[in-house]
Formats: sequence, structure tokens, C-alpha cells
Amino acid sequence: MRKVYIVGIGHTNFGNLSELDLDLVDIMAFASTEAMDDAGIRKNRKIVDQVIVANMGGGIINHQTGIASSLVSRLDLEPAMAELIENGPASGASAIKMGFACIASGMVDVVMVTGGELMRTVSGWEGTDFISTLLHPEAEYNYGLTLPAFGGMFTRLYMERYGLTDRELAMVAVKNHENATKNPYAHVITPCTLEAIFDNPDVDTVNPYIAEPVRLYSTCPVSDGAASVIMCAMDSPKMGYFKKKEPIVISGVGSATDTHCVHQREDPLRLKAVQLSAERAYKMAGLSAKDISFAELHDAFLVLELAISEEIGFFKIGASKEAVVKGVTRINGSLPINTSGGLKAKGHPVGATGVSQVYELVKQLRGEAEKGRQVKNPKHGMAVNFGGFGNNVVTTICSKECKK
Amino acid sequence: MIDFNVYKPKKNEVYAYKCPECGTLDYPAPMICRKCGARRDPSGVYFSSWEKIPLKGKCKLLTWSRVYALPEGFLEKYLIFGIVEFENGLRASGRLLVDKPQIGMNLVAKVGLVREKVDEDVLGFMFDKED
Amino acid sequence: MIVNKMEKRLRPPQINLKTYIPKVIMLANGEKMVVRETKREETSVLLETIFPLIEVQKDFYDIVAARMYAEILGWYRYRVANEFVLVGAIDGVIVGIVNSRIIDEDVGISLHTMTIKRGLRIGAQLFASKMENHFNMLGQKEVLIVAESPIGFRRWMIEYGLENREDEYPKVQHELGGVPTHVLTKSLYDIICDQKVGGQRPVDSEILATADILKAPEEYEQIPGFERSKQ
Repeated sequence: MRKVYIVGIGHTNFGNLSELDLDLVDIMAFASTEAMDDAGIRKNRKIVDQVIVANMGGGIINHQTGIASSLVSRLDLEPAMAELIENGPASGASAIKMGFACIASGMVDVVMVTGGELMRTVSGWEGTDFISTLLHPEAEYNYGLTLPAFGGMFTRLYMERYGLTDRELAMVAVKNHENATKNPYAHVITPCTLEAIFDNPDVDTVNPYIAEPVRLYSTCPVSDGAASVIMCAMDSPKMGYFKKKEPIVISGVGSATDTHCVHQREDPLRLKAVQLSAERAYKMAGLSAKDISFAELHDAFLVLELAISEEIGFFKIGASKEAVVKGVTRINGSLPINTSGGLKAKGHPVGATGVSQVYELVKQLRGEAEKGRQVKNPKHGMAVNFGGFGNNVVTTICSKECKK
Repeated sequence: MIDFNVYKPKKNEVYAYKCPECGTLDYPAPMICRKCGARRDPSGVYFSSWEKIPLKGKCKLLTWSRVYALPEGFLEKYLIFGIVEFENGLRASGRLLVDKPQIGMNLVAKVGLVREKVDEDVLGFMFDKED
Repeated sequence: MIVNKMEKRLRPPQINLKTYIPKVIMLANGEKMVVRETKREETSVLLETIFPLIEVQKDFYDIVAARMYAEILGWYRYRVANEFVLVGAIDGVIVGIVNSRIIDEDVGISLHTMTIKRGLRIGAQLFASKMENHFNMLGQKEVLIVAESPIGFRRWMIEYGLENREDEYPKVQHELGGVPTHVLTKSLYDIICDQKVGGQRPVDSEILATADILKAPEEYEQIPGFERSKQ
């Protein structure tokens, strides 16, 4: 397989973009043009062979289809090839995986992947309903079950089996919010304190339950936003256009599926799709868990940051909370997790998240992260993008180019 | 031939499906048997339509959550949901009617109205305390 | 002050209302918000705080700010009966304002809720405090509630389980625009108060002292580029 570089990255603010005079494709186009500028190819944008768009709610919420074709025209990129990838909240990483495959197979040389979502145009109740469409229609959706409901059930079982406490979960929230205060694109830039969201006698009004035992500060916000990456084959003559920034290698990609119905999992606490997708990515990259310098893990529900970090081999199953308490996963710890603020504080526009995670990997590996949230000397970064409730997971590993 | 059963009132049941070749039960209905690979054809024309076995009776609570953030259309302040395991090994998600659920408690599966959709009453599991 | 006859006739009769007992809430970012009632003498800083938001033409800020400005000015000029105003203040800076009116001993009307510092659920805390005042301090039996914002209204309707009196319209109208109303009764309040009403009493005297003199915010995230000193 050909080696693939990421040569340009772009990102919009995550937050409430629904009141601006921009539609879904405009927001995606903004991130795409940021990436073009970062790569230095705005004037030569027609060298992009293939555009891949990641989005989940365009058809349901924004009443738009054929979004990839729409984006191409908005960016004046005709006649580039273009397709949409929809894989629930893992759309972003899946789009990157497909872009990688297009280049690695030799079919094209330059791919632009843009993920975006404009989900705050509808009310919170309709947004919850939209996300619930991921669930099994008869056995889950019809009951009014939602992803937060499964987040709550998973968190309860995890707490019961491994003794995770509310306080330890609150520590993860504090860490991610702290990281986000230094991230200019983050949705939530107000930090939270452990005392305020856990020790507080008013905790039930300040940090109320969303789906017991998951509280407001253990679940991610609803966000709008877009992110974009531009990729090029290492051996392509078009690499001559990309002299502006240090190229970052996509060294491993893997994905896997698990049962659709959560109740059909053999052990409802095991996320086999996470473990398998990571194994496949490690294999392609020739790496293992101990080689990874930092990671972006899909913390839509904070407990997932812990569970995923265990499934991918960072810590023993059930033991990640000890690492949290010791500060291992903080920015200045030995294995920083969610340096961007994670989905919890950076935000979660579902289609954009996978691309946003890889954006963060590249930023850190290039050494370009904002002051106070730059990981020291990172070599390999890992992003895990979780689709549905763990039934489709995509892992991406990016690495600094080895200097020979 | 007219099937007069069609005019009978619908029974309040939720069904597991039984593979005609190996007898394995599955819920919800698959299109391929997980154990032996036999195909299911709901029309019964090309392959046999599988036998429906009502899923009910005693079950054990595996996990639960009291959910406040409900989707569009639900006007309750909160609903309690849970995942249970039946004695035959099958599992299901559904509404919990118990006020103070506890993991491992014994429940009984009833079937009731869980959602009203346009022109359709949706029936589903409601797990309650054993009488 | 001796009030002249004409002025006396123009002023509404006043019920002597018990004062709200101040409380303090630690918000999610660790800051402590004091919730207390304001006096007529503090009208100046209240109006100064609300006025710039009349120009924010989204999120219903313009209508809520315009109406609240009129209500508080009306209260100051003795042209609104039996109004009370609660503020949330962090280090003395106003971060949210709520106001209500009393019709008689038993019935109150909730007027407005304005959040100035966003992202910390201050609006929810202050709305709950307003209800706490109606039921716990003023001993009322029910409060009429409407809203301008559809999201806010559904949130209160569902989370507080308000009683729907829309079918009594037009006999029962809410004075905010004369629209059909919902009602929070004492019994409904008793069910949700533990879940909704936060705050610790008594407030530490040092913290309470920070809210002695209220200040208008220096900047508003709803108005980029606003600087108080340049007004």
C-alpha cells in the first residue's frame, strides 16, 4: 500500500452556529478552505482528485442530500470526484479511512476529507430523537431509548463491576474542560471545578442527572461545526505543492463492528469493536499500545474515555480510573488523553468529530498546539471514533515522519 | 383461503424467532440464523417463515438508568429503562416499571403500550416486580 | 415623603411583601453566585445592566430585555403593583435577573428570567429561586407562568410539570401579552423543589458583603465589542 501523508488541516469553531447566515455546506466549506490555506493550495485547489464528506444528519435535520456534490460546487472544486460517508458518529474517521484507501490503492493522489454537522437548528428533543435513530428500530428506538440511556446503563454497570466513583468521573470532566480552555475552537471554554460538580451541596441543580448515573458534566454537548484534512500520497509528484507544513503520516487505520442491539453483546461491558479496530490499526502501523504518545478517545459519555482506553490496551480492564486519579492522562502526564478537550468540552458535531480528532493528532505531532496544551515530543497519536453505541468503531494512528 | 386469524385483536406479545433448522431462539428477528446460517423469509415464499415464540416470563435485571433527556414526543419528566436476561438466555431492552431498581433483581416481563406513533400503537416490554 | 393626591391615585395599592432570604450557590466553574432581592434604590444599576441587551436581536433577548426594562422602571415609578426582583451576583457583578408580580396573597405572576452570563445554568437557578420566593417566603398557592422562548417554555412545562390552564383562556390570561397560561401550584412545587431549588443558607457574611453594592457587567458575550466604560 502507498504511504499517505496529511498535508493540510482546517477547523471551525464548535458550538452554536445555527443562528448565523450559513447552511451546513457553508460550514463544511469554511473548514475545507481553512485546510486549503493550511496546505497552501487555495490557488491550486483543483489538484484535489477526490472529496469525501462525513455527515450524519444532513438528510434528517437539514433536509439536504447529495451533500458531497454540493460541497464541491461551493468550493469551486469541479470536476473532483465526491462521495458522502455516513457511519453515525464515526462518519468522520470512516471518511478518513476511505480517503486513505483511495490513495493507498493507487486510484487517486490527493483527497480532501471534510466532516461537518449542523444539528442545533432543531430543538434538544428533536436532536435526541435524531441520534436515537442509530438504535434498533423495533427493539430499542420504539421504546424511546436514547444513546444517553445506554450511556447511563453502561456507566452504572461499569461502576458496579469496577468500583468507578462519581468523583473519578468528575475528575475526567475537570481535565477535559481544562484542556479546552486553551483550545480556541472548543464549544465549552468555561472550566469546571471538582468541588463545584462533585463536592457541591447543590450538585443536583448545578450538575443534574441526564440519565442516572450520567450527569450533565459526564456527557458531551450538542454542537455545530466542521473539520477538514487534506491527504496526499507520499510518492505523488503533487507533493511538490505541499511544502508549507510538516507532513504527518497516517500509519494505521482499522475498524470493526459489534452487535447492533446492545443487549445482544456477550458481555455488555466489553467493547469488542473498539479492541478489534485498535488491533487492526496497530497491526498496519507495526506498533503497540506502549508506542502511543497521546490519544483522542471518543468521550461522548465520560465513561467511554475510560472504557476505550482499556480496550485499546493503555490500561488493564477496569483499571483506567487509577491512572486518572494519578494524573497520567493529563496534558503533562505520561499518556495525555483528549488534549483538545475531548467531545466533552470541545464539542461533538457528530459528522465532524472523527475528522476533528485527527486534526488534533496532526496539530500535536507538528508541534503546533496552543501554549499550555502541547504534548512534549509526541511520536505517535491515536484517535478512536465510536459509532452507534459501540457497534462500529474506527481507529486511526498518525505518526511523525521517521527521519532516517 | 381466508385466514380469519387476521381479524382477531392483536395479542399483546413480543416475539422471539425460532430457527426452523436448529431451533435456536433469537430476538429481535435476524435474517440469518446466528448458529446454523439458515435464512429467514418473512413472506414464507422462498424460505420458511420462522415460528414466533412469545418472549415473556421471569427475567433478571442486568443494568438500568433513569433517563431525563427524552426524545421528541415524550412528555414525561423521566422514564426508567433496563436490560434484562430471560431464563432461556435471551436478553432484551425495555421500560422498567420499578421505582427503585437494583442490578440482579428478579422481574417479570409484561407487554404494554410504549409509544404512540401516527396510526400505530407500539407495544413493547415493560418489566415489573414479580407479584 | 408626603405624596400629592394625584400621584396617590396613580399609584397602585401595595401589599407588604416579606423579603427574600439571600442564598449562595457554587456554579459549575467554581464561582459563587449570591441570590438576593433588590431594593428600589438599586433600580439604576438594574436598568443599566438590562438596557444594552435590548439591542441583541436574537435568542429573544430583545423582547425579554425590553419588557423587563419596562417592568422594573414601572416598579420604580410606582406604576406596577407588588413586584419583586431577584438578582444573581458573582463578586457583586450582576449575572442574571428575574422578576415577578403578586396579584393577591394566593396568586402570583412570573414575569421574566434573564441570563446575562451564559453556560452555567444561571437562568434555571434563578427561575427556581423565584418560585422558592413565591411559595416558601410569600406563602402563595399558585403562580401563573408563560414564556417568550419556545425552548424555555417546554423546559419549564415538562421539567416542572406545570398545570395547563390554556383552556380557561380568555377568562384567565397572563398579563405578558394576554396569552393563555400554565400554572405552578404549591403541590406541584413541593414535588420538584428538592430537584430544582439549590442554594445554601445562611450566606457567609464576607460573601454576602461582596453583593452589597451591585455592579453592571463590564462586557456581555451576547454583545461582542461592548465596553461599559465607553457607554
